[in-house]
Amino acid sequence: MSHPAHYREAHPFIFVMTHWINLIAMVALAFSGFYIHYPFFAGFMGVARGMHFFFMYVLLINLAVRIIAAFFVKSATRLGSREVDTDIKNWLPQKLNRHQLIPWIKYYIFLKKDHPIGAKYGVLQKIAYIATVPLTLAAAYTGFAIYAPVMDWAFFTAGTDAVGGPMNMRIIHYYLMWAFILFTAIHAYLANVEGFSPSRLIFAWKEEEGLQFDAEGKIVGGTEH
Amino acid sequence: MAHEDHDVIYDLLAARGVSRRDFLKYCGSLAAMLGLSQAFVPEIARAINQGAKLQPAVWLNGGACTGCTESMAQADSPDVATVVLEILSIDFMETLSMAQGQDALDAAEAVFEKEGEYILIYEGSVMKGFDGNSLRIGGKTGLEELDHAAPGAAAIVAVGSCAVDGGFVMAAPNPADATGVQMYLDEKGISTPVVNLPTCPVNPEWVVAIVVDVLLLGSLESGAILDKLDRFGRPKYIFGQTIHDNCPRRGHFENGNFVSEFGSEEEALGYCLYKVGCKGPQTYTNCPIVRWNRRASWCVEAGAPCIGCGSLDWVDVGAPFLNRHRDLPLPNVGNTQPGVIAGVVAGVAAAGLVAHGLGMKATGRMDGGAPYEEMKEHDRKRMKKGGGK
Amino acid sequence: MARQVVDPLTRIEGHLRVEVEVNDGVVTDAWVSGGLYRGMEKILLDRRPSDAFFVAQRICGVCPISHGHASTMSTEDALGITIPNNARIVRNLIEAAQYIHSHILWFYTLAALDYVDPVKALSADIADTYALAQAAGTGVSDFGAVAKRLQAFVDNGQLSIFTNGWFGHPAYAEDMPAELHLIGVAHYLEALEMQAVAAEIIAVMGGKFPHFMTSIPGGTSFVPTENKLDDILFRFIKLNDWVTNTMIPDTLAIAPFYAGALEYGGGHGNFLAWGVFNDDSFEMNNRYLPAGVIKVADGLTVADADPSVLSEDVQRSWYESASGLHPSVGEADAMFDEYNTEARYSWCKAPRYDGAPMEAGPLSRMLVAYLRGVQPVQEIVDGALAALGAAGRPEVLVSLLGRIAARNLETKVVCDWSLEWCNELIEAIAGGDSKYFEPHNVDEGMGAGLWEAPRGALAHFIDIQGGKIDRYQVVTPSTWDCSSRDDQGVRGPMEEALVGTPIIDPERPLEACRIARSFDP
Repeated sequence: MSHPAHYREAHPFIFVMTHWINLIAMVALAFSGFYIHYPFFAGFMGVARGMHFFFMYVLLINLAVRIIAAFFVKSATRLGSREVDTDIKNWLPQKLNRHQLIPWIKYYIFLKKDHPIGAKYGVLQKIAYIATVPLTLAAAYTGFAIYAPVMDWAFFTAGTDAVGGPMNMRIIHYYLMWAFILFTAIHAYLANVEGFSPSRLIFAWKEEEGLQFDAEGKIVGGTEH
Repeated sequence: MAHEDHDVIYDLLAARGVSRRDFLKYCGSLAAMLGLSQAFVPEIARAINQGAKLQPAVWLNGGACTGCTESMAQADSPDVATVVLEILSIDFMETLSMAQGQDALDAAEAVFEKEGEYILIYEGSVMKGFDGNSLRIGGKTGLEELDHAAPGAAAIVAVGSCAVDGGFVMAAPNPADATGVQMYLDEKGISTPVVNLPTCPVNPEWVVAIVVDVLLLGSLESGAILDKLDRFGRPKYIFGQTIHDNCPRRGHFENGNFVSEFGSEEEALGYCLYKVGCKGPQTYTNCPIVRWNRRASWCVEAGAPCIGCGSLDWVDVGAPFLNRHRDLPLPNVGNTQPGVIAGVVAGVAAAGLVAHGLGMKATGRMDGGAPYEEMKEHDRKRMKKGGGK
Repeated sequence: MARQVVDPLTRIEGHLRVEVEVNDGVVTDAWVSGGLYRGMEKILLDRRPSDAFFVAQRICGVCPISHGHASTMSTEDALGITIPNNARIVRNLIEAAQYIHSHILWFYTLAALDYVDPVKALSADIADTYALAQAAGTGVSDFGAVAKRLQAFVDNGQLSIFTNGWFGHPAYAEDMPAELHLIGVAHYLEALEMQAVAAEIIAVMGGKFPHFMTSIPGGTSFVPTENKLDDILFRFIKLNDWVTNTMIPDTLAIAPFYAGALEYGGGHGNFLAWGVFNDDSFEMNNRYLPAGVIKVADGLTVADADPSVLSEDVQRSWYESASGLHPSVGEADAMFDEYNTEARYSWCKAPRYDGAPMEAGPLSRMLVAYLRGVQPVQEIVDGALAALGAAGRPEVLVSLLGRIAARNLETKVVCDWSLEWCNELIEAIAGGDSKYFEPHNVDEGMGAGLWEAPRGALAHFIDIQGGKIDRYQVVTPSTWDCSSRDDQGVRGPMEEALVGTPIIDPERPLEACRIARSFDP
């Protein structure tokens, strides 16, 4: 079996922190959001709303921090390597991923036996991760659009009118939360289905040895485990 | 302002048991509603006192249930008699006109000749179905009547949700092709200004406020009325805040005290109706403040969740009324709750992940994944072809 | 032979065209055309049964309570729900408030101007008016102030809703004194106040009127607290006083001047009532105003009403779906070709009971209740017959004047019952009954809500499948009364009632308008 090495360079400490904050904020937002949608027990609405607004700001600030940090913090450029470059380069198309979309899809639907070569994030993975940025912004926009203190700002009413009123906006907001839940489920599954080292790294910042790759994606060493 | 005019109105008021003091108090409440300072009270009183000439008006019924006319009859201070006898001269109104048949239509026609001077009040949906024949009046279609009346009006007051956007009549599948006055005029290129007063029926207090604002404070002539309207042509001072913002049960909402079952002790305690589908959070009207039927009560106080009858497209965005969310009309499936759709999608996704996991297990990828390819498929194919760098 | 058209017929709910053929001062044929199609039944499809309550009541802005109740009852019938006793009383009270509201509004605001001429009131002597009011035992207003207000209004020259009225029409009773006209005008204004008081009761119990909120399937969402009970009770007392001391005496004071109206306007003589105001048995025949059918062929006798023998003909109205179907399986596929009294001429279908046209309304209810021996109804009807010089002859009620009298007498009976029900509710609550709503979780079934709007028999039919409405059909009182001709060419009840009406001035057929309006269409 062949698992790449997981080095701290892949997830510098600040990103371990932002990942934790994202997780906590999203769980808090999902729980309080469900409660606000339908209060399934008594006596918690004020707290739930407070939580929802607080963690909404936490999530947005965290997102800003994460994006800004991407321009200043260096992280590993590929799997199983300690070679680093500015993190934002991992957000952009990379040479190692070129022509690999179809192989990734084939791999996941069992039409391809061996593991496709990839950059730090595979093609599908990168698309999914980057999509969380507009998804977060859309959740924030739709949330503000049904948040009494600002819902009447022209910036939000324009959207509300375009989708056919506040009820529809509320449902879109509700579905965006489901989109996050689905993302999280698939993300957690794919990250861990071949072994838990990614989780040990991103949550506990714990390294694990494995295969090492060169800039061409060729295995250059490391150990099977 | 002739002194005698004052006497006329005060005599009339006195005849009806209304003292000068009551009258000024009423003007004060109107001022508050119109968002004016109390300094305007004498101004309003003076305006109402004008007396001598009544504003010509015509009240047309489109595809209406007559509920808005009924609702107008529930107005007080001024009551409906004052409105139709001493403020407006409504020379044609199907439900109240003494005249009948052609004579009634002639009375309307005489008003329509005074171009730019009359107010047109429109109740009910504009009925476009069957070339307009889904509404027939005086041997003509309702559309012909509106086409004739609208261009010459100084302003149109669309009373009730039906007149605003077609109301419940235009709810899917809109069998009679109903629409609202403003939408219809836009189609026809008629530019008469429209003041929209939604809810089903219209709350008479709002009509009275508009009458005072438009006619007596002259806000139509000055154009001030247009600044007071929101992007849907609704007066901001009535439709600027949600029911939820002003609800007397809002405290219970924040405390998390909800009515879970109708007719329960929780209702007797006046708990919040949010859980049983109250549409107050997205319905923009001042019902909790103005209330209904001479302030006797209003929906939430009677134990009923708001159904959002003041929202645009209120049936389709509000039904099912006792649920938190509207239904979504899925093709081939029909009306479905968003939560059900989300549940099905999540279920399918979960099943997919489990199935995929079993596949991963079967292919032995669970422990560390499959072996890595030597080179990208793309490169291998190019090499096979003998090309490549 | 001259055709006369009154279109629009004003002072009714909705849009109606009345076309009559007048020969030698008498109506010899008539066509009544409903002018509006909205397709309510199609709008309800695929929605929740509880939504039907909110939407279907909007068929009529004057009788939304009855439509709401019929709709909610059809759902309860389909799902097998029996509502709690307190909910039954609450619904009776809301319904009663609407009956009182509707009848006051009809008599004074809509119909009175056919009998009372405001211009004649101007020549009334104020002192004589007080004397006449006292003699007639009717309410005393500030007649001087009313006269002054009326004079100011007329002097102004802008007649508002009175513009082009048929003032001085020869059909106004010549011998009716100016003072009685002034009393009529004064009470026209008072009635505007009273109908609003009745509507306030509905607001307290139902949120608002028109279009109320609380009688959802399963019971009611309204829970009466002490404050709310007080708000209801004092208003019912006020209404009862006014109906007893003003509306009934007014009716009896004006009626003798139009005694001729006992001679015509009866129509087919077939009457249908589904009954209204449940007692605790929830049986249609035990309702305070019970269900029943009177067929002219059987004389003035009552039989049980059977909803299975209904049909709706559509060959003379603008529908292309099959004709003669029972409403529970009926369709309402609309079409429009042209207005043609020889072919299709109305948006109203032609409902039939066992093939016969049926009059619906207060006259039907009061006759059925009278024949079924409902005591308060028998007492008040016998009293009125004696006052009109027709003691022991209830058959004279099958006429224009009878139809009006039945409505006003019913108002009084309902007022009395409303006070009874208030006390019943107070006692039930005091006895510890606090149940207002029956939760339910069945989501399949077919049901009917058979009830009475103030203007007559009302039926909602629902078919629920998988928790959604699969079919919905409504037979309103106005389709009974304003029915077009059926497939056999038999006239509807209003059309038939118009035939034989004397017309003094064929250019201004006021008498025909009275007939049409007497149905409160």
